[in-house]
Amino acid sequence: MNLLSKALLSVPVCILSFNLQADTAAKDPASLIEGSISNIFTQVIENYEHYKSDPAALQTLVRTDLIPLLDVPYSARLILGRAGRGIPREKVDAFAEAVVNLLIDRYSQGLLHFSESESVKVTVLPQRGALNEKLTRVRTRVSLPKGGEAPIDYAFHKTANGWQAFDVIVEGISYVTTFRNQIMPEVQANGIDSVIARLNAGDLELTD
Amino acid sequence: MRNSLSLITAALLGLLLSACAGMQSQQSDSEIDPWEGFNRKVYAFNTGMDKVVRPIAVGYDKVMPDEFQRGVGNFFRNLDAPVTFVNLLLQGKFTHGAETLGRFLVNSTVGLLGFVDVAMKMGIPYYNEDLGQTLAAWGYQDSRYLMLPILGPSTFRDGVGRLADSYYHPVGRAIHNRSEYGYWIFRGIDQRARFLIQDAEIEQAYDPYILLRDVWLQNRQYQIYDGDPPLADYDLYLEEDYAEPDAGPGE
Repeated sequence: MNLLSKALLSVPVCILSFNLQADTAAKDPASLIEGSISNIFTQVIENYEHYKSDPAALQTLVRTDLIPLLDVPYSARLILGRAGRGIPREKVDAFAEAVVNLLIDRYSQGLLHFSESESVKVTVLPQRGALNEKLTRVRTRVSLPKGGEAPIDYAFHKTANGWQAFDVIVEGISYVTTFRNQIMPEVQANGIDSVIARLNAGDLELTD
Repeated sequence: MRNSLSLITAALLGLLLSACAGMQSQQSDSEIDPWEGFNRKVYAFNTGMDKVVRPIAVGYDKVMPDEFQRGVGNFFRNLDAPVTFVNLLLQGKFTHGAETLGRFLVNSTVGLLGFVDVAMKMGIPYYNEDLGQTLAAWGYQDSRYLMLPILGPSTFRDGVGRLADSYYHPVGRAIHNRSEYGYWIFRGIDQRARFLIQDAEIEQAYDPYILLRDVWLQNRQYQIYDGDPPLADYDLYLEEDYAEPDAGPGE
């Protein structure tokens, strides 16, 4: 990760929740995923070299096309759990913002990895059963460059802003559950401020 | 890497005995991981081993084209078919068993010893079963987490299952009958290469040991439920653990 994308990650994200709301309110979760995720993948596959050399552009793409679909404040509350007790609202918001940044960073890296091969394909499976406003799962399959498929599910609920996802589950591994089990002991040991600072600074370096 | 080593088994038994001698230094989850003290020691050992294995996997990943890695993945997945077949029958899934047998026959012949997944193109579905999953299906749901030397995360149930399966898994048989470790090592490197992308995430986690445990156990549930496990109880995350600031106790 270079300095540019690091700088981008620290840009405040207050504007993002106002994007696309009119559009998202009317659609059901499966078509939201279909429209957004498939579009992101198509963009990255078609302009792979561009996005590879310009991480900032990739992060912007993810920020504008994916993040409005997510109910990050809710995810942040689920992740904090009992560690969120007694923490002022603005700290919880700052934590949510740090989670957004981390998510964009990870998602962008995953996108580049998957899109390396042009044969990568995202399939949204048909909705099973009726939509439940508290919890509806959208199932997708992403074909992997080295063979096989990754099943990626999104947990949606209905909010004042329409349907929004609050968890991503890859091969049964829930982002919220996994993150929660890391964050709760860390908040309890080091306090929320230190965790927010670490998340905001936390870009990953691969050492070969 | 689902096959077990007889060499490892002996080492494991020794380690298990010493674990029983009491190393309960850390307890983050006494229900799932009562052997955490021991498990963390094995994890440290495995992390050390990985300093040797990882560079090989990185080299392999760089040199080998994706098409080749796809073929290798197909080849080893095809070798799992006998174990999957037997365990599908043990779970009473006879149709899936027949499909798995057909898949194995087609891929082993037309599919050039399994390198090409012809069965997939023919629309024959792929299943993945082992004795650990069968035991879970029979009601042995919760088993304590067990970090195996070299083989990595497991549970007591899945470790036992893996050992039993290895006696008729082709790669396991090569080891048990002929002391041939080549296939096993090759598969290990190929598998390791597939996880390289997760390395940074695990390394920089607040507690890498717990991250790996968490991820592995969730994924195992996913396999046991044949890809359709129940979702987490999100309400519990919120209502039991999170209170509005003014409702927090002792505030």
